[in-house]
Order: sequence, then C-alpha cells, then structure tokens
Amino acid sequence: MSDNRLNVAVVCGSLRRGSYNAALARTLPALAPPGMALKSTPAWDKMPIYNHDIQDASGFPAEVTAWADAIRAADGVIIVSPEYNWSIPGGLKNAIDWVSRMKDVPFKEKPIAIQSCAGGVLGGSRMQYHLRQSLTSVDAFLFGRPEVLVTFSAKKFDEKTLALTDQPTIDIVKQQLAGFEKFIRRLNGRR
Amino acid sequence: MADKALNIISICGSLRKGSYNRIVMNALPALAPEGMQIKEAPPIAEFPLYNADIQNSTGFPAAVQTLADAIRSADGVIFNSPEYNFGIPAPLKNAIDWVSRVPNQPFAGKPIALQSASPGPLGGGRVQYDLRRSMVFLDALTLNKPEIFIGNCAQRLDDKTGRISDEQTVGLIKQQLAAFAKFIGAHGGKS
Repeated sequence: MSDNRLNVAVVCGSLRRGSYNAALARTLPALAPPGMALKSTPAWDKMPIYNHDIQDASGFPAEVTAWADAIRAADGVIIVSPEYNWSIPGGLKNAIDWVSRMKDVPFKEKPIAIQSCAGGVLGGSRMQYHLRQSLTSVDAFLFGRPEVLVTFSAKKFDEKTLALTDQPTIDIVKQQLAGFEKFIRRLNGRR
Repeated sequence: MADKALNIISICGSLRKGSYNRIVMNALPALAPEGMQIKEAPPIAEFPLYNADIQNSTGFPAAVQTLADAIRSADGVIFNSPEYNFGIPAPLKNAIDWVSRVPNQPFAGKPIALQSASPGPLGGGRVQYDLRRSMVFLDALTLNKPEIFIGNCAQRLDDKTGRISDEQTVGLIKQQLAAFAKFIGAHGGKS
C-alpha cells in the first residue's frame, strides 16, 4: 500500500560534489524495499557555526528549523557520512549540535541507520562509533546490524559516473535497508 | 503484555565479594518499578578463558550455556560493571565473548541497560561506551538515557552495610529502571 510507506530522510555528511558518500546516498532509493520512500533532508551547509548567542538573539536560523522539521516529519533517518580525522565531519556535527538545542529535539526516539564510505580499510567505522555516541546523547533509537562500512570506496564506485558497482556492497546496503524498515515498523507498532 | 511481569537479569562485571558494583546490583530489585523483576544472572566466575578449541572439542561449558539460556529467556539484561584500565573488565568481556559464540546468540535484539560505579569522578564512563560498542556487534538494543555513572562511589555506597547511601543515586536508578521498562515495551523485548 502506498499510504503505508515509511518516509525516511537521508542526510549526507559530505558537501563535496564528487563525494562517494553522496554517491551512496543517491543510490539508496533504488536499493530500498518497496515499503520505504527516501528523501534527502534540506541542506545544512548554510547553517552558521553553532553559537548560543545567535540562538538567544535571533532564535534558530531558518536552515536549522527546516532541517529539524524534515527529521521530525520522517519515520526514520539514514545518515551517510565520511570520516574526517577519525570522527564526525564538522559540518554534520554542527547540524546535530544546532537541532540538539531545540525544545522538541528532532532526534529523540527517532530510528537512525548509519552508513559510511572511506578510502581505507576501516570504512569510516571510527566516525560511526562517534556518531552513535552523539546520537545516544540526543536519545535516538540506533539501528544495529548489519553495519554498512564501505572500505576502499574508490574501487566500489564507477570512476566516471560514481554509480555503485560493487555487488557485495549493494547487497549489504539492501539488507540494512530491509532490516531498518522492520526496525522502524516494530517501533511504530509499539508506541 | 501489561499484566506480564518483565523478567530482567543483572550481570556484575566484578567478581570481588565487596564490589561496589555488586552493592548497586543487589539494590536493584527493591528499586524496580512495579511489574519488573530483577534477578542476578547465573555466575560467570567459573568460565574458562575463551578458546575456540574448547568449544570445538567438548562444546560449550555448562556454565556458558546456562548464562546464554538465562539471557535468552530474559526480557532485558542490566550490566553492573566497574571499569578496568579504561575498559571492560576481563571476566565480563570473557563472558560476553563466550556467549557471543553460542548458536543463535542471545544478545541479538535484547534490551540492555548499563550501570557503573567507580571511585573516580567519571563513574565508569569509559567502560560503558566500550560495552555499548560490543553490544552493537551483538545487535543488542542498548538503552540511551538516563545514564548511570556513580562517581566517587566510596561516598555513595556503604560497603559496611552493603547499601546505597546516596539518595540522588537511588532516585536516578529508579528513573533508569522505569525508562528501561518503557524501552523494552517500545522495542518489543522478548517476543
């Protein structure tokens, strides 16, 4: 049933045009189960660097409110992000820091799945465990396994089109999305 | 179901008789919300150090199987653990490592709550984030908040009487146990 589809918001942690993580995020709609509709969240790149004084003087910036609303309205969120210096990219952390200050924290009890691509052998795992820790602080419901950790990402995407070409990666992403749908539906059924 | 009591087991990460974490664990049954029963899990002290050769030659030790069964039939598990060298105490990690190898490993989908006490100011924060990460691997569902870090525990736990002497700590534990009951309800717990 089309009314029954879950609306899942996709957040990308990289702004770079040629980002492998953005390429993975673009692939997700084609790999999602039929019961899940995916939509990118509004851009977070115009949010000012978090400063409590801004919030006190002029309230939350419009970009922050728009991002928060998109997350609040979604049944779940998938965060696809690179690892910068072993951790969460500053821009993505800035967005999380902004919305975490809202009275009605949009991540609270929100189902979240995490994916990352990286050039090396660890696939962005250090970013993922930091992100899990931050999202624990905003009381999100974090999906467990399978984890999507795309290692050696230059070998997994087409050099020119940036299409995801690696079959094992495609399979694990599909598995995660199917598992995430079940996770969300189980939570929705219980509350 | 609303009328069915939640059956929770607690595992203490310290084997020491006078353990501060054991004092906290022993206090839990009296602090649990109505409809939640907390019992100590079967002992982990006699587990051999994990070695796949044991498993392959004589199968899982009886004590391991007993713990795995207890976890499987519980609605949730509480870890009461100290921090050893910034990490998970070896006896507890050994128990988790054993149980993780049991077919149909029992932590999958299991609600988990964490509590730690330590004489230092951080109250075992680092052991909890390590435990959370191991629980991701095992696909458990770990409660976010409230977190319980009993810092400077010698002033809050009375090792002469074996009681929690600090009312604030008692209040926080009650809050966490109530949140845990709600969390188990939201995630479905044992089905």
